[in-house]
Amino acid sequence: MDAPTTHQVLEALATIRDPDLGRDVVSLGMIKELDVSSEGRVSFTFELTTPACPVRDRFKSQAEDAVGQLAGVTGVDVRMSANVRPAFMRPKPSEILPRVKQTIAVASGKGGVGKSTVAVNLAAALRLSGASVGLLDADIYGPSVPVMTGSLTTPQQSNGHLLPIEAHGMKLMSFGHLNPGSEPTIYRGPMVGKAIEAMMIQVDWGRLDYLVIDLPPGTGDASLTLAQAVPLTGVAIVCTPQDVATDIAMKALQMFRRLNVTPLGLIENMSWYVCPSCGHRHEIFSHGGAESAAKRFGVPFLGAIPLEETIREDADSGTPVVISRPESAGAKAFVEIASQVAARTSIQSYRQLPVINVH
Amino acid sequence: MEITWEDGTRTAYTGKQLRWACPCAECRGEGGSPGRLSRVKTLSDEELRVKDVTLIGQYALQIAFESGHATGLYSFSMLRRLMQ
Repeated sequence: MDAPTTHQVLEALATIRDPDLGRDVVSLGMIKELDVSSEGRVSFTFELTTPACPVRDRFKSQAEDAVGQLAGVTGVDVRMSANVRPAFMRPKPSEILPRVKQTIAVASGKGGVGKSTVAVNLAAALRLSGASVGLLDADIYGPSVPVMTGSLTTPQQSNGHLLPIEAHGMKLMSFGHLNPGSEPTIYRGPMVGKAIEAMMIQVDWGRLDYLVIDLPPGTGDASLTLAQAVPLTGVAIVCTPQDVATDIAMKALQMFRRLNVTPLGLIENMSWYVCPSCGHRHEIFSHGGAESAAKRFGVPFLGAIPLEETIREDADSGTPVVISRPESAGAKAFVEIASQVAARTSIQSYRQLPVINVH
Repeated sequence: MEITWEDGTRTAYTGKQLRWACPCAECRGEGGSPGRLSRVKTLSDEELRVKDVTLIGQYALQIAFESGHATGLYSFSMLRRLMQ
């Protein structure tokens, strides 16, 4: 029996569809280095758009099955790899953050819903999947990232640029690194914008797959500056289940929509609490509020995170829970959400922004 | 200036159309006081020629004219409406 042609192999692989991108994996350019030996051994690289791909294992077995069924195939060798693609198809990279492929904002509208905890763990989970990750703390007044990552140092300078702080394999920059200690930052709006711009322009972020940006509460200066300075890939909105939080989260969502920033979806934090003494599940802030709000506003629901004492303890001691207790329910929820965020982010790589020509 | 939209449609704008549509506070007026565009009848050629266009995030264009006027941020939704 003759070995199949590469064309036949590609035809078989083209039956696999990416559920998020809604196209077949061959036309998406995910199949690379295809080789068919004369004995019928087929080998190729399956290049995902993110190492945090939620359907990684399914793709591998689908590919093995599709090719294995072809006549003349004696063996299939699938190498899984990932290459994060830059957001949006555009002729040249953005001038700010030119080597950052994807910028993901984490916002909430309302304060105190655990936005920074989510941002830190989202970044750490993306890092654990194998991506190169930065975390920019855009909360000038209440920077939380230094404590939550145990990085209470000040940045070094090199060639007129600030070097980001390295912790847990991530690159970090926060106003808490630049202005450490208990002195408050007392700024009016325009200064906040300048400070955030400086943390993007003056910091040598290097090559990054993902830059996660932890936004302060509100729908004003910080969010506007960010949405004007960089083409954000998208924004993940965090809220707690009760109405007062979801209502304000929806205001943040609508603001980003006006700025043409894609909502990646809604995350429900503090969703439930399992009492350590009685084992009973309590829904302190109600339950399911984010999911129903997501339906109402037509955005994806990315997942729910439990209220756990260990998440708070690990935030205070400076190690994100996804690293310190990967087996906990909280950590698993963060990893699942990170993978949903990565999948939604990948969709933006294939989106074409308006092209402007001036004659 | 010509824009090719995400859905493939194209729209073209003259400098004159864009200049008279400038959404900035100076041109439109603010706090109840009328803006410059409602006070003047004509604009010089220099004011009507587009010099440079900068993308603002992904929602708007900042259009600079030869005269130096560049304070208007033209949102994409506004630019689409302008041609309907």
